[in-house]
Amino acid sequence: MRKIRFVLIFCLFAWACLQSAAQAEVFRIAALMPSATNDLAFSQSMYDALAAIQEELGEEAFEFTIQDSAYIVDDAAVALRDWAASGKYQLVIAHGSQYGPIVEELATEFADVSFAWGTRQDTFGMDNVYSYAAASDEGGYFNGVLAAHLTESGVVGLVGPIEVGDGKLYADGFANGVASVDENIKVNIVFIGSFSDVPLATEAAEAHIANGADILTGTAQMVVGPIAVAVANDVLWFGSDASQDDLSEDIGVAFQIYKWEVLLLDMIANIKEGKLGGEYYKLTLENEGLVMEFDKDFVASEALLAIAEETIASIVSGDIVPIPEMAEEMMDEDDSEDEGDGG
Amino acid sequence: MNKVAGLTQLAISSRFSRLIDFSPVVIALLLALVVSSVLLLALSADPIAAYSAMLEGAIGTENATAETLVKATPLLFVGIGITIAFRGGMINIGGEGQMIAGALAGTTIALVLGDLRIAPEFAKEKGAFDLIIVTLSLIGGFLAGALYGGLAGFLKAYFDVNEILSTIMLNQIAVQMMNFLLNGILLDPAEAGFNNIPKTARLVTAAQLPRLSLPIGDPFLFARTRLHWGLIIAIALAVIIYIFLWRTSLGYRIRAVGENQRAASFAGINVKRQMMFSMFLAGGFAGLAGVVQVLGLQYRLQTDGSPAGFTGAAGFNGIVAALFGGLNPIGAIPAAAFFGGLLVGAQKMQRELGTPASLITAVNGLIVVFVVSSEIFIQQRSKRRVSVAEQAEDEEEKAKDDG
Repeated sequence: MRKIRFVLIFCLFAWACLQSAAQAEVFRIAALMPSATNDLAFSQSMYDALAAIQEELGEEAFEFTIQDSAYIVDDAAVALRDWAASGKYQLVIAHGSQYGPIVEELATEFADVSFAWGTRQDTFGMDNVYSYAAASDEGGYFNGVLAAHLTESGVVGLVGPIEVGDGKLYADGFANGVASVDENIKVNIVFIGSFSDVPLATEAAEAHIANGADILTGTAQMVVGPIAVAVANDVLWFGSDASQDDLSEDIGVAFQIYKWEVLLLDMIANIKEGKLGGEYYKLTLENEGLVMEFDKDFVASEALLAIAEETIASIVSGDIVPIPEMAEEMMDEDDSEDEGDGG
Repeated sequence: MNKVAGLTQLAISSRFSRLIDFSPVVIALLLALVVSSVLLLALSADPIAAYSAMLEGAIGTENATAETLVKATPLLFVGIGITIAFRGGMINIGGEGQMIAGALAGTTIALVLGDLRIAPEFAKEKGAFDLIIVTLSLIGGFLAGALYGGLAGFLKAYFDVNEILSTIMLNQIAVQMMNFLLNGILLDPAEAGFNNIPKTARLVTAAQLPRLSLPIGDPFLFARTRLHWGLIIAIALAVIIYIFLWRTSLGYRIRAVGENQRAASFAGINVKRQMMFSMFLAGGFAGLAGVVQVLGLQYRLQTDGSPAGFTGAAGFNGIVAALFGGLNPIGAIPAAAFFGGLLVGAQKMQRELGTPASLITAVNGLIVVFVVSSEIFIQQRSKRRVSVAEQAEDEEEKAKDDG
């Protein structure tokens, strides 16, 4: 009887150990996004990345949960705190630079939880915070070069959100790309002051068309408005963040696609090894975190394809610097501080 | 004997009546949950799991309860203001703009005084709570919101400009003004350059409202949460405004104007002044909501450029809290807590079930529509009861006269 009891207890103990071991192998990420996961832009790019990682690692090894449309910063704090306090997640992602102050506060309080936030460079000097950004100026420059070759009216319109982060980088890169081909082409840039105001973005796109633009581009989740304007007016569209070819019908040309999985996989590996943060990552064309993709319906000429390939190669090699002023500023900072962020 | 029996019957009937008065709210809530369940089922989400997550998100843990109260705080401030405006016969839809006006003014004062306190004459222990800075910031926020709300009241009183339209328009102006200032003179100097997120610098600790904890257990209850003293200020003001509206002649005048402007005018009340004053106070409370969000919670004014980016739509949700609270400042306290829980719980529902954010908004909207609609039923019953009582009194008097 005692033997049976011993065997039973042993079996139960072994089962419990196996269960906990199996659970420990699952890597869990919680991600907060400022807009809908089907926004064809910033949030969708992160959702797609998490889904891609799950497909790669398998559902038994990787799980993720999200809260989208968290454009109210205060609501974001509730979700992030809830995830951090639960102890269920190995990585908590705050996908939006506006969440930075919350991450800074929570990372201090929950030192054993790993946080990632972007798009910014700052890890707040904390060992449990990763930061990330996208060199969207590279894709912007690429799109600008192509737009300059395709415009007939000599006027190009850009609809941006708030003049910050990767939206501003894209706009500056795009303008420089156009100017690199022909300085006489006019690039009209409008920042509407919001990431989500679709009607306002639509109005801005209409204004560009009224001012002679025959090519439109833009960033952030409100671009669904400008894309509809481009379709209605049959002008070409260049996109960023995620593929928009489903929406842009036959007027889409090229899209800059963020592949966040490139850096997330590295973060996951680091966390598994016990490194919870302290590193800055950047998506670039070189590390294939940025991918330029032509619209499925767009038929590019041989000449244009050659220009596209050459532009990407030059950016990767460093022969083309999309925003020279920024590069100089960063070099100055490096000189004065002797050390910079890694990644 | 008959009189005693009659009184007893009246007492029982009155209690039963009160019970019936409350039941529409419960029924409305249940109906809202049933209809919402259909939506959840349509998206293959388990309604029981969804509502469990919602409840857990609202009051399931110490932190959840604290977040509910944190969310309820601006709703209560705005709700008190809305109550005053509605009692004065004014419909204030401008809570959003007034919140922003209050936050802009209060934050500016806090930032300026925060810098000043570095000077030796203000020198104190570094980081200690500074009552002067916080009080002046709160007063500044109140006055800015009050002036912004009072403007709509002035336009209504003296130029008959519809206050619904003017307050909505003023909301837009406030949002654009905030975006302009946060990208300009109020922009955090650390943000200038390539990453200029529209936000102010972080307030010094001295300018922050302290966090609130209750001396229960170890560590104290809510000690590790974001609950702050703004809640206590809001509750205290709700009580004060109740006394003001129902126990002072000034409050009586506001209510008289709201009940019947002509009668109030014949009674010698300056109707225009009361209309302006009620909007002034309403704006002030919304302004307080804005500045308390900054001083107590975010420690900086920040937006994503959208109207609700900073306010969290509390300027609108406060209207619902006020209506649900029966346009009574004391009633607004549980109403704000209820809607705070609803909003916080719904987010948990989304996180747990992975349901789309739009569904959460729809579920919240359904609950609001059903519950607020039940108020109409209660009010109609109340009116009917008054008229029946008056009729009974008339008949009794008539019977006495006949006798």
